[in-house]
Amino acid sequence: MSAQVLETPVRTALAGLLLAMADDEFVLGFWDSEWTGIAPVLEEDVAFASLAQDEVGHAQALYQLLADLEGGDPDELAFGRPPEGYRHARLLDHPRTDWAFSVARRFLYDTADAARLDALAASAYEPLAGVVAKMRREETYHLLHMHAWVERLATGGEEPRARLAAAMERLWPDALCVLDGIEGDDLLAEAGVLAEPMAAVRRRWLAGLVPELARLGLPAPPAAQTGACRGPGRSDDFRWLWEQFTMVRRSDPEAVW
Amino acid sequence: MQVYEVFRREREGGPMQHAGNLLAPDAELARHYAREFYGRRQESVRLWIVPRSAILDLDDPDLLQPPFDRSFKKPAGYSTEIKAKLATARSRADAGKGDE
Repeated sequence: MSAQVLETPVRTALAGLLLAMADDEFVLGFWDSEWTGIAPVLEEDVAFASLAQDEVGHAQALYQLLADLEGGDPDELAFGRPPEGYRHARLLDHPRTDWAFSVARRFLYDTADAARLDALAASAYEPLAGVVAKMRREETYHLLHMHAWVERLATGGEEPRARLAAAMERLWPDALCVLDGIEGDDLLAEAGVLAEPMAAVRRRWLAGLVPELARLGLPAPPAAQTGACRGPGRSDDFRWLWEQFTMVRRSDPEAVW
Repeated sequence: MQVYEVFRREREGGPMQHAGNLLAPDAELARHYAREFYGRRQESVRLWIVPRSAILDLDDPDLLQPPFDRSFKKPAGYSTEIKAKLATARSRADAGKGDE
């Protein structure tokens, strides 16, 4: 399926999905890159920075898909919007906080994103299926690494365990938003762009995750979340991050690199 | 934390060569970090990650640096040194002709 044959409502929903996914990856990538130079050990510094860099790369591919679908410039999409224009899940409005918090957030995000990518792997929109196939290959390693860290913090003594559990408790309602807030996801499912509506993707994600959390004695997800999942209201922390990642571009928007 | 030594193969059929080392708390994270350090830019098709403690070390000069001249055991004994020996033999033969 190419962009030309999509009916307008499906196309609009697809553009919304692409923007939400791209912004999720982009903002997480910038938050986690904040650990560069200050991660617990040098090796993890390199590993975590590399995960962050992967996400920015995925964002670039998704912004490009959106630009191919709707016109526009990927760089302009990434850097040219005000903070209210971003559509990332509010899980990504929190600052990096401490190591356990960043691990908890990335673990919740990566496992949710994996469920979302599973639902897009056989997408009828072929350009997206192609990008998703590449993303999944890199996400395999992200998942391995984050499962390893959650396991270690959960079983590594009182303090890491307490910090991890507190972070998850705080992040759970916002984590549910990663698989929410996509308008027209039912249309995308009907058109075969997405294998199933987001609520079903969310159930599949949680069904896989809950036994592991129970085994590790970590907080289970709440039954539901309330409130807007993907803006336009944003935290001061996100506004600060936006100032950071748009700084160079705002200094000279016309610059050619 | 312990030190792991990492070996990598650059392309299929090539040798495993020492790449460097890293610190990791356990084998699982050692694999992750080895991948980050020596394999995330398509520079390797295989890695071996070995705890340094598993490496058998041998550096005894009595075993590795024999004191007597064994140059005849080396290929150079047949390529470089044979030329010198041949030259000596020729000059000796030339000197013999002069006696006739």
